[in-house]
Amino acid sequence: MSNQAEKETAIPTNTDFSFRKYAWKQFKHNKPAYVSFYILVSLAVLAILAPYIANERPLYIKYKGQSFYPAFTFETNYRFTDPATGDSINLQLDIADWKRMEFESVWWPLIPWSPGKSDPANRRFVGPGDPQRFIDAKGDTLYIPSRFKHRLGTNESGDDVLAGLIHGTRISLSIGFISMGIASIIGLFLGAISGYFGDNRLRAKRGCYYMILLSLPFAWFYAFSVRVYHLTDSLEVSGMAFLGQLLLSILIFALVVMLFSRIGKLISRGKWLGKEVFVPLDTFISRGIEILNSIPVLILIISLAAMTKEYSIIYVMVIIGLTSWTGIARFTRAEFLRIRQMDYIQAAEAMGFTERRIIFRHALVNGMAPSLVSVAFGIAAAILIESGLSFIGVGLPNDIVTWGKLLNQGRENFHAWWLIVFPGIAIFITVTVYNLIGEGLRDALDPKLKR
Amino acid sequence: MLKYIVRRVLIFIPTLFAISLFAFVISINAPGDPVENLYEGAKNGNGAAAISESMIRGKEQLRRELGLDLPVFYFTFTSLSEPDTIYKIRDKGEREALSRMLDRFGNWPQIEQWYVCLNQLRQATGVSVTTDSIFRATYTQDSVLAVSDQCSQKIASLFRTDSPEEIVSKLDFLKRETERISKFGQNNFLAPIMDPLKKCFAAFADVQANSSVWKTYVPSLHFYGYNQYHRWLFGDGNWITGAGSTHCEGIIRGDFGISYSTRKKVTETIARALPWSMLFTIVSILFAYLISIPLGVQAAAKRGSLFDRSSSIILFMLYSLPTFFMGTLLILTFANPDVFSVLPANGVKPATGYPLDATLWGKFKITWPYMILPLICYTYSSLAFLSRTMRVAMLEITSQDYIRTAKAKGLSYYLVIYKHGLRNALLPIITVFANIFPLAVGGSVILEFLFGIPGMGPEILTAVQTKDYPMIVAVFTLSGFMTLVGYLVADILYAFADPRISYSSK
Repeated sequence: MSNQAEKETAIPTNTDFSFRKYAWKQFKHNKPAYVSFYILVSLAVLAILAPYIANERPLYIKYKGQSFYPAFTFETNYRFTDPATGDSINLQLDIADWKRMEFESVWWPLIPWSPGKSDPANRRFVGPGDPQRFIDAKGDTLYIPSRFKHRLGTNESGDDVLAGLIHGTRISLSIGFISMGIASIIGLFLGAISGYFGDNRLRAKRGCYYMILLSLPFAWFYAFSVRVYHLTDSLEVSGMAFLGQLLLSILIFALVVMLFSRIGKLISRGKWLGKEVFVPLDTFISRGIEILNSIPVLILIISLAAMTKEYSIIYVMVIIGLTSWTGIARFTRAEFLRIRQMDYIQAAEAMGFTERRIIFRHALVNGMAPSLVSVAFGIAAAILIESGLSFIGVGLPNDIVTWGKLLNQGRENFHAWWLIVFPGIAIFITVTVYNLIGEGLRDALDPKLKR
Repeated sequence: MLKYIVRRVLIFIPTLFAISLFAFVISINAPGDPVENLYEGAKNGNGAAAISESMIRGKEQLRRELGLDLPVFYFTFTSLSEPDTIYKIRDKGEREALSRMLDRFGNWPQIEQWYVCLNQLRQATGVSVTTDSIFRATYTQDSVLAVSDQCSQKIASLFRTDSPEEIVSKLDFLKRETERISKFGQNNFLAPIMDPLKKCFAAFADVQANSSVWKTYVPSLHFYGYNQYHRWLFGDGNWITGAGSTHCEGIIRGDFGISYSTRKKVTETIARALPWSMLFTIVSILFAYLISIPLGVQAAAKRGSLFDRSSSIILFMLYSLPTFFMGTLLILTFANPDVFSVLPANGVKPATGYPLDATLWGKFKITWPYMILPLICYTYSSLAFLSRTMRVAMLEITSQDYIRTAKAKGLSYYLVIYKHGLRNALLPIITVFANIFPLAVGGSVILEFLFGIPGMGPEILTAVQTKDYPMIVAVFTLSGFMTLVGYLVADILYAFADPRISYSSK
């Protein structure tokens, strides 16, 4: 879609100059931002590969003549026959004590520990420099082999901090991406239509306009009132189930509104109902933004956290997404106010394209750039909110290890400095990287600084 | 200008209304029944204990005091199957179970009959045991109590059940028990529930047989007069007449009701906590302005110099540094017996409190060491943002013609920068100033939690943990209100800082 739009809007010149290429060049010139971009990519790789980098299961074992790949499987046990003795052997993957078993050949992951799986030999905050213990297959306690050392220490229950940090990358990055994904969809859409139409460009036949206004309570009724128990029950099942139900409700909402607008078109006849009126779209959306900005987001998330019985990471993402689109909407709106006056929009209008096509295929691709800056800063803010919530102990379920939770454990025990410093640095680096990228994007996309 | 302010204030009203409605919706939909939480007797009671007469009356009383016996809002837009009087069923759990049954079957007359039968069943339970020898051989007094207790528990749980299978299995259990006990003739202590139980069976069969699910898909509108939202907003009128035992004045007069966990007035709690939050917010913003304005201006004036570059980098790092990390590091360093133990780590005053004869100055002398670490954290986060904004604004200004003119006129450096330049760079600073207002109310939850400051932050956290919704709603409404006030103040300050901004024409 974007390629086509580019073809439609790009000025045919001899040089292959496009704004996107120009912006990328500018971005590359900004060394900190460029480096940050690569740090972010490697963080993402780290997050994706986390189960293969930090896992208590070996990547590969040769056990009694058989080869297995325990880290790559979701199975809980292997059953096989020992070729030497003919005995049937059951290898229980989820509770196996890998480090004390003897294999013919074994490849360990880089960090042979899983988050949330404690090492009983190193309980009660063992630091990276402290002597760490290891109980071998015979039950003797000895110094830990360097292979199994807890590089960044352990917490109270003996969980490896480095493994927790690596797996925490997943939470932090996905919080940022998903919440800002939701926010950008809402923000871009509302910003685009409010900037494009303003208060006095969207005309509708009075019958149609009033029918759509009338449809809202009915849409609410069919989408949410009727389905209220489906929604609340799914909340208790899982976050994903709730998301599914919510999407279904939104779909019903849209269907009802569409149905009413069809009816509205049918009845828009005659002098009064058929008269065209302006829809003050911009006023509606600006007022909505003002209300949303007045709601303290952190307190909202905390109180919603208390309302739900089982708290899931999805809620944090959805709530941050639903409350933080206002910045993106404002940027997009301002950009669309400018784009609206451009010649190519008038040209597209003159060619008789529909408004939907002009907004989403001509204007949006050009108007999206400034909101990218807002998205980058928004991701940084979302990560900060999530880690802050984990830090004060509100939120995520106990079995998920996050950076903020590790930091919170360190706050309670000051001598365990490794629980404070390393997660803190991880949060700091991620937030800095996003902020630097945001700065770089702003400089690259700001037409004022164009050379 | 005055006209503009009046108009802005008028626009506030619907916004405030929307925020209050939002907060109210949250508090209404909160899980758990506040009356159950509040009523101490309910804490150790199980299903069987909940039926004692005095407790029901006590709960009823409390419900009236909190205004929870009223309809929720001015109108409801629900399905045709739902009667407009369902709010009269007091118990939140029972109401939800009935509403779920309505969602499933959609026939209120039958469900109402079922509810009536269920109530009769509940009233019929009670133990009156006369014993004879055959009976005693089978049952001791204890096991009689156990059986009847089990039955009353089943009956109590029937009120909160909506799935047909569960209801049938519970009814079947009761039936089996009554049949088992009935062979003891005159000793049949379950005899009183036999009749109502039969009625219940019939009523439930009726509910299942005559379902009218279509009704749940037809919307209907009901209007109510005096309701919970109205009472919450405007008070119950008792504060004027002096009648009644409670006086709810409504949030419009600054009364946020009583706390669900402590039964004290929410306004009292806020009055106790708010000064601390405001103290830290205002002092830190003051510091942040005092440092950031000269810093930003100097950095912009000497653009590209070593000072500019190094301050930019440091401020950028500070900007990305999470306050809770910085705060923990500070405590770890300066309030740690292992490193430096020079400052207190927690609280705002010694555990023993102030001396009784302490003056305000004396209190300050005791408190200031406690304020150093929190204030550093409070200040640096806004400082970093402010200086960066200030620098950018100043950079834009210094490239303008009028600054060059001022320099060319031979004006002194300070006059050019601070008189001609600064005033025009103030706009972003004012925007930040608007944010203090909501912050002063909400406090910084994370920092107050970390440093043990008895401000709004810990109050909010405990309110959330104890599901003390009046408190949460109060914080919501207040901070929403303060945000709007902040916008207004910022708009007025804009006009003072930059006379070109004119509001009269808009």
